[in-house]
Amino acid sequence: MLLEKYMEMMKETVVIIGGGPAGMEAALSLAGRGYKVHLVEKTNALGGHLARWDRLFPQQDPAQEILNELVNRIREADDRIEVVYNAELQYIKRRMRGMEVLLSNQTLLQADAVLVACGFDLFRAERKEEYGYGIYENVLTSADLERKFKEHKVVCTDGRTPEKVAFVHCVGSRDEKVDHTYCSKVCCVTAVKQACEIKELYPEAEVFNLYMDLRMFDRYFEQMYHRAQSHYGVHFVRGRLSEVAETVDGKILIKTEDTLLGRPMKLTVDMLVLMVGMQACAQTAELAEKLDLKVSASDHFFETKDLFLRGNHTHAKGVFLAGACTGPKSLPDTLQDARSAAESIHRYLTD
Amino acid sequence: MHERFANAYDPFVIPYMIGFVFVIAYLIVALCFVVKSLPMSDRKKMLKHLFSYKIFITVKDIFADCLLHVKIWKKNKLLGYMHSSIAFGWFMLIVVGHIEIFFYAPHRVNLPYYPIFFRYFMMETETTVGGSVFFFLMDFFLLMVLSGIALAMIKRIRRRLFGMKRTTRLKWNDQLGMYALWCIFPLRFLAESFTSHISGGGFLTRGFGMIFDWFNQFMNNDALIRPTWWAYSIALMVFFLTLPWSRFTHILSEALLIYMRNAGIRETSKNNGYASVEIYSCSRCGLCLDPCQMVSGASLRQMASVEFTRNIRWGQTTQALEAASYCLMCNRCVQACPVGVNSVQLKLNLKGADVSYRYPHRYDYVESEAAPSPLATTSAWADILQGEAVTAETAGVSAAGAGKPEVVYFAGCMSHLTPRIEQSMVRIFEAAGVRYTFLDEDGGICCGRPLMLAGDRTGGEQLVVKNTEAILATGAQILVCSCPICYKIFKDTYKLEGVRVLHHTEYLLQLLEAGRITVRKSAETGVFHDPCELGRHSGIYRQPRDILYRVLNLHTTPYEGKDALCCGHSIAAEGMPYKKRRMIAKDALRKMTENPVDVLVTACPSCKRAFAEIGTTRIKDIAEIVSEQLVCPHLAAQPKK
Repeated sequence: MLLEKYMEMMKETVVIIGGGPAGMEAALSLAGRGYKVHLVEKTNALGGHLARWDRLFPQQDPAQEILNELVNRIREADDRIEVVYNAELQYIKRRMRGMEVLLSNQTLLQADAVLVACGFDLFRAERKEEYGYGIYENVLTSADLERKFKEHKVVCTDGRTPEKVAFVHCVGSRDEKVDHTYCSKVCCVTAVKQACEIKELYPEAEVFNLYMDLRMFDRYFEQMYHRAQSHYGVHFVRGRLSEVAETVDGKILIKTEDTLLGRPMKLTVDMLVLMVGMQACAQTAELAEKLDLKVSASDHFFETKDLFLRGNHTHAKGVFLAGACTGPKSLPDTLQDARSAAESIHRYLTD
Repeated sequence: MHERFANAYDPFVIPYMIGFVFVIAYLIVALCFVVKSLPMSDRKKMLKHLFSYKIFITVKDIFADCLLHVKIWKKNKLLGYMHSSIAFGWFMLIVVGHIEIFFYAPHRVNLPYYPIFFRYFMMETETTVGGSVFFFLMDFFLLMVLSGIALAMIKRIRRRLFGMKRTTRLKWNDQLGMYALWCIFPLRFLAESFTSHISGGGFLTRGFGMIFDWFNQFMNNDALIRPTWWAYSIALMVFFLTLPWSRFTHILSEALLIYMRNAGIRETSKNNGYASVEIYSCSRCGLCLDPCQMVSGASLRQMASVEFTRNIRWGQTTQALEAASYCLMCNRCVQACPVGVNSVQLKLNLKGADVSYRYPHRYDYVESEAAPSPLATTSAWADILQGEAVTAETAGVSAAGAGKPEVVYFAGCMSHLTPRIEQSMVRIFEAAGVRYTFLDEDGGICCGRPLMLAGDRTGGEQLVVKNTEAILATGAQILVCSCPICYKIFKDTYKLEGVRVLHHTEYLLQLLEAGRITVRKSAETGVFHDPCELGRHSGIYRQPRDILYRVLNLHTTPYEGKDALCCGHSIAAEGMPYKKRRMIAKDALRKMTENPVDVLVTACPSCKRAFAEIGTTRIKDIAEIVSEQLVCPHLAAQPKK
């Protein structure tokens, strides 16, 4: 009994930065191996972007259910996992054994390893002024639409039911002009998901997807895409949006080109949805400096030690990475990455 | 003064004479080539200029630019002195030297080498006032040249003393010419000093000559006389022989350039004679390096104009074309060039010669723009994809003013990408009660300048024709445009009879001054960024500032007016990658907001986008600011942000 208690005291501690899916899943994995975990979340609730999502591709699972399960498991493991809300990393000091972590709320934590799982930010659609986000009322982002789904209020600003909806892919992804040359991976399939959901809600509506390439790479994605066309009758047009204007009656006039037909085209829609991509979170540079991490010059996400056997390792001793802070990831990928990070930390601490 | 040698000859004049004859021959041949490549009309202009009163202006310009280097003086006094001491000092040595001959050996005027080696061939027999004056003048100008050469040597090591952060790197041909030039005058000084106990001399040559005389106790000074004259002659020969292949060709061509420019000749095509004179007139002084933002902002030194002219001169067309496709055409280098080489036009000409065979022309879209969209019949979604015809209502003709609109508004393609500018303009028109028509509200035809800047003159002209028809058809007397790129071509190239072309900065000021709109002043601080096309290219500097004083607290930066920076996103630079463009924009924005302000105001959609992308400062177009500060109770509130 006493020995058990002693063993418990001697067990190593891990500090996790970020209470999104990656942070939560990694915390659970580490707690399951007997480690003490401090899960540091900058807001007052766990869940990250997942908390703002309605349903998840590819099978329309409710996001809330998945989030609830994660949160409940963390609550059950409260002897091992301590969640620190409204706190961010202030500084880190290396000691003979492990590190000393000071949080913004002046809590001082001892850590044998640190896991960064700070996730991603959505691309700010205002940066593409030509798409009219923040200027025209019926231009929204994929996240805005998801919120509308969640609130069961998928209507135009004047309360009308949308009759024509267009989705613009690759907003802030694969775009040299905004210095995001990478693919955000999940927007294509999200657009297909949301297009189908619109059709489910309003079977009469015309739905267009304006894409560059459709990257249906993962399990069930291709099937979703086929179903979107065969079952829901969603139109897919290969072409990038050039400009957007508002008509007198508050509709959105878009100009694009059908690059398969080689023809310019104009389209008037009631709602324009911009599929915003992922970008490195705002704290990336600051965290990189404090923790001595490397940031990729190409996509501005954190650099891992390598892409194969050390995909969760950093160049700094005892600091690990998980989730979308190392590049765009879908939710299943993020959760897997978190488990793999926990495994890497376990190996590091038992070595 | 008497001649020392009856035959007035010594073998050491031979190297000099070789160089001299060579240069004269080169000059004649080159002139023939230049004239030959000019069209007849330009040749007539050249001849006519010779007999017009304007020739006096040309002489003055040549004196001011080639000898005194007035433009360089304005940039940096030390650099100006360096250039003018060498050029003017040398020139005066030649002039005074010839006068001296007329005085003392008029029968030798026909010997071209005589004034060069005058001190060797003449001996002083008596001291006269006139003689002393000549000695003094010759020594004075020699000292002037020597000081210039000394500065030139220092400049190679300490260029910051001369106000230059960067200078050109020299290839071997330029180095050979330069070292020869550096040798000429010190050798002349030594030769004249060694000879001064025979020929006499002024404060400099005789002064040092006396020191050398003292050395005569130990060694025979006279043995050095002829070798130094030989060396002097050889240095001259080397300099002359390298002249056509070095940067120093500009000594010959610059005067011709000024003559041709004043005669009204321009670089109209790639192979035009004026263009080649411009290229040869580039002295590779490197004054265009510091202003070039490709060099300072994006480490693209090889793209600078000085390297471009070099590449053209040596037939390295691939590199020259690359530089032309990178160039922002902001005109900062043209403005900095003391010789007046219009490298931007040279680049356009080169692009033009290249583009014409690379891209075939297609104008069918110009016709289809007016007609309904072809998709209407071919697509499965015919009904929804149909192009919407422009009606009086959608064209924005306000109901109040039936008949001709007062203003035709052309936002331009770039403004379509920054809808806030268009929205603001429409709001201002309505507040002012202007009867206007929005010509390209539903997407018009491009103004043509992007094509012209890509070198495609023919393609651009097609669009000019089409747009001219559309603008004139509105019957409006004022054309307002929001994009300085369009503004420039509407103003310079279009022939819009009876239509005044105004950029919105000009028009907004008119509305304000006429009291048609009123604005309140905000507490915000701001600086104004002059867009290249509006400022340096069109000379609009005052109007935006006059507006901004009324709407915010306008601060100034060192980068205003003609010294304004480029945003790096010029449409002319079609070859430059975004990475480099962003570096330039970032650098420019950092410089302009060194003293932080609330907002950076510009008047070009392209500049706005470029700086907004950096994300460190709020960027607004001048129309947006005016629209926000409008006092107009009858209009709806400001569109949401």
